[in-house]
Amino acid sequence: MTANNEELELKDRLSLIETMIAEGRRTTESYGWTFVLWGVAYYIAILWAALAHDYIAWPVTMTAAAVLTVVIIARKRRKRPATTTTRAIGSIWCAMGISLFVLLMSFGFSERADQHTSIAIVAAMLATANATSSLILKWKLQFACALVWWALTVYACFGGGKMLTIAFLAAIFFCQIVFGVYGMIREARQRRKAASHA
Amino acid sequence: MPELPELNPVIHGKLRLALLSLLSGVEEAEFTWLRLKTGSTDGNLGAQLLKLEEAGYVSVNKKFVQRKPQSLYRITEAGRQAFIEYVQALKQMLGGVIG
Repeated sequence: MTANNEELELKDRLSLIETMIAEGRRTTESYGWTFVLWGVAYYIAILWAALAHDYIAWPVTMTAAAVLTVVIIARKRRKRPATTTTRAIGSIWCAMGISLFVLLMSFGFSERADQHTSIAIVAAMLATANATSSLILKWKLQFACALVWWALTVYACFGGGKMLTIAFLAAIFFCQIVFGVYGMIREARQRRKAASHA
Repeated sequence: MPELPELNPVIHGKLRLALLSLLSGVEEAEFTWLRLKTGSTDGNLGAQLLKLEEAGYVSVNKKFVQRKPQSLYRITEAGRQAFIEYVQALKQMLGGVIG
């Protein structure tokens, strides 16, 4: 083998290493759907609670969303391996999800919390999870979502009335549904790109 | 002139290198996922994984999930160390070409 051939083969090996590491990482990111699912769940709970004045609206919707999330994630995980990053991100959202679930269940059954307090706490929790994820992933758009949730936290403490409900619905729409759909489109693009490189 | 390092022959095989690279980026991976990513056949993949396992570079956890057999592979500390040393040696051999 000539020196040139040997060099080409070594370069080929290095390229193979880079491609495979990127491939392993690329195929593990698929969480856009969770934002959409929870965004829709919040809408259902808000609508149900507003129309029927039913105290079980939040507990039932949150339970259904949580069960659905766990089932889908368990099915997906069987097909895709976890990385340290996805485990870190997953841990944040899992802990936040459990806290939110416990909080909303308690709020729903006790009927003690007023609208301002509930929205302020939920928004602050969503802001924390979004900000932490965005800092790990270095994703500016997700950090923008965190800023929206923080702004809503402040507004829930000082503002009020119908405008607060509208602001909450708008934040859910942009930071959950639109952001989730964008995430899904981005993931689909990455999968297509990965398939074309395979 | 400094002596060039030797490349680890266990890792140098193309499929084994691809497998270690894939496993270095994830916590653990299923046999079917590794087959999909490498485009290898079951027989060849199994044989190469066995070589890596015998060298102590990967560990396997075999279990049944919903009555279906599942083999989960994970890179060991020795495997990660050997992989890092392989990459360093490779870069050293390529020297100025990589920059």
